[in-house]
Amino acid sequence: MLFAVAMIVFPFGYALVLSMQDFVFGHDAHFVGFGNYVRMAGDPQVRLALVLTVELWLVSLALQLVIGTWLGLLLARMRRGRGLARAVLVSPFMLPPVVVGMMAIVILDPSFGIANWLLGLMGIAPRLFLASPDTVILTLAGIDTWQWAPFVALIVLGGYLSLPSDVFEAAAIDGAAGWRRFRYVTLPLLAPTIVTAAVLRSVDLLRFFDIIYITTAGGPGYASTTLNILAYRRGFEFFDIGYATATMVALAAVVFGTTLAFARIRRAVRW
Amino acid sequence: MLAAGAAPAGAQGFDWQSHKGTTINLLFNNHPWSQAMRDLTKEFTAKTGIETRMDIFNEEQFRARLATLMQAHSPDIDVYMSLASREGQVFDRSGWFADLQPLAKNAAATAPDLNLPDFSKGLMDSEMVNGKLVALPINMEGPLFYWRKDIFAKCGIPEPMAEEDLLPTAEKLKNCAAAHDMGMVTPWAGRGLRGILNYSLTAFINNLGGDFATPDGKPGLCQPKTLPGLELYAKLLKDYGPPGALNHTFTQVVELLGQGRIAMTYESSNEFANIVRFPNRASDLGVKPFPPGRASGINKPVVIGWGISVSAWSKQQEAAWMFLQWATSPEIEARLVDAGVAPPRTSVFNGPTFKAWTAQLPIRQAWADSLVTVARIGTSVYQSPTDRIPEARDIIGGAVQQIVLGQASAHDAACAADAELAKLQ
Repeated sequence: MLFAVAMIVFPFGYALVLSMQDFVFGHDAHFVGFGNYVRMAGDPQVRLALVLTVELWLVSLALQLVIGTWLGLLLARMRRGRGLARAVLVSPFMLPPVVVGMMAIVILDPSFGIANWLLGLMGIAPRLFLASPDTVILTLAGIDTWQWAPFVALIVLGGYLSLPSDVFEAAAIDGAAGWRRFRYVTLPLLAPTIVTAAVLRSVDLLRFFDIIYITTAGGPGYASTTLNILAYRRGFEFFDIGYATATMVALAAVVFGTTLAFARIRRAVRW
Repeated sequence: MLAAGAAPAGAQGFDWQSHKGTTINLLFNNHPWSQAMRDLTKEFTAKTGIETRMDIFNEEQFRARLATLMQAHSPDIDVYMSLASREGQVFDRSGWFADLQPLAKNAAATAPDLNLPDFSKGLMDSEMVNGKLVALPINMEGPLFYWRKDIFAKCGIPEPMAEEDLLPTAEKLKNCAAAHDMGMVTPWAGRGLRGILNYSLTAFINNLGGDFATPDGKPGLCQPKTLPGLELYAKLLKDYGPPGALNHTFTQVVELLGQGRIAMTYESSNEFANIVRFPNRASDLGVKPFPPGRASGINKPVVIGWGISVSAWSKQQEAAWMFLQWATSPEIEARLVDAGVAPPRTSVFNGPTFKAWTAQLPIRQAWADSLVTVARIGTSVYQSPTDRIPEARDIIGGAVQQIVLGQASAHDAACAADAELAKLQ
């Protein structure tokens, strides 16, 4: 209990107090109540950051659930080499985000990255990837998916292997195969597992920071300035601590709300 | 003004070993100076008996760590790098700097040969914040114009002598690259990240007669004389720069220049050592101050100097002060020259070691001469008037990015930026 108070209640309470102050380093702090939240409501950068946060979350989550589920089921069917495949799949999400970010810079840089060189070999025109406001969110979602879809795959694999085999045998006797078997048997049975994976990934994705910061620092322009990046820059670069904290408290509320929503969904798909 | 220029009363009582056995914590920004220090601090320990623990972070992370610890009044940092021209006011008002003047006047704490007046006056002036000496200078730097002499010669194009020449030169280089199958070479590269591009943008604006401020001290990005510099910077990046330039900082620019992928750029003097490490660059590059405005006759680039400060919360300020004295001593500065650190002490800059080093290669001499010029004519102000400097630079950089991305005209982006900048005053 004491641990919970010291490590959770106190920091969050302190953040709430800070978020209600106009506190910029070098200036006297003073209490402004919900002033920072009101300021956020009228701040176009916060609105854009919220849209980008949600956009990145939805695109990444969709990609990771689809690819992760497909990979997981593919693994489940493997008769040989599953252990090796599992070890390979674990490796991306064992990498520190800094390494992934640096790899992305080296591979995707439009001038000296190898991605455009490879595209060129295939006769495809070069792409700007992280350097274009039109493609930066999709590229970041792609990087995160490369790293975390295997995590979803392993969760799905575990869930699939724990499903009762008689249901699949009955489905086979009834003539369900291929897509129909997946759509009407496998997917409903796996739904609670997939929702669990969605919760875990959502919490991470809404807090997605490190790779964005390393690869684009929120740019080009403000095209990848999510709430996290915005708060970091306001806090640690501009020293506007009160406003940055309010932004983070708002993001924490979004994460908390999303988790609650998924908890309800999970109850709904339980079998 | 420089009361700190006064030497201590005498050598009586001063002993490099007086704090033997203590340990001081150093927090540095990733910089040629700090990289060189990593190897040299063991000599400090040998001389003083003071152990050091050094952390080096990239600039943003360095500032985040510094702010976190200093705001918590943590004694875990004794010495840190600072850039008074950027954050001196904020740091001072937050009470993060120890005033070095009392230490400098303390004969027991200060080496008799410290000789503060030996530091460049401009750099020492910038380390004086609200009457306090907040740091000792460790380098002098500013952006310089680098160009590939071999490419210019091959294309029969003269080097730009005025800022107005840049655009036609870039156009000629583009045509020449296409005609001579130099498709990998782009005419220009420069900083595109919004928070840091002001460093290069300033000379573009100043030399064409513009200013970040109006005569009455208001934000002046939208002034008719300021817009051409802004437009030129954006146009070079957009039409003649490498793809993805808006995510570029000095790291990418240096890499591109080093790899021989660009014909000209305007990048930090600090990066000189990194640039000439690439094969052939020491022989085929030219370096000089940014070309002045032909019509205006103005040449006013940026010149700044990093310093090292003692934390106000340090419990070992005298030991920390000893590190400052050692790290900025003529002997150490002379050895840092090999790492491309321009010495802030006049005696070292004009001394035999530095002169011998510059005489070894013509480009080193050109680099040193350029620094002398930049130090003489440069300014450390590169944003509109405010004490919220990082935020102001971010807004101005954001305006440039909008122009490059075609999201706004130069006029609209600049006027919108001025409105935002006014809120910071």
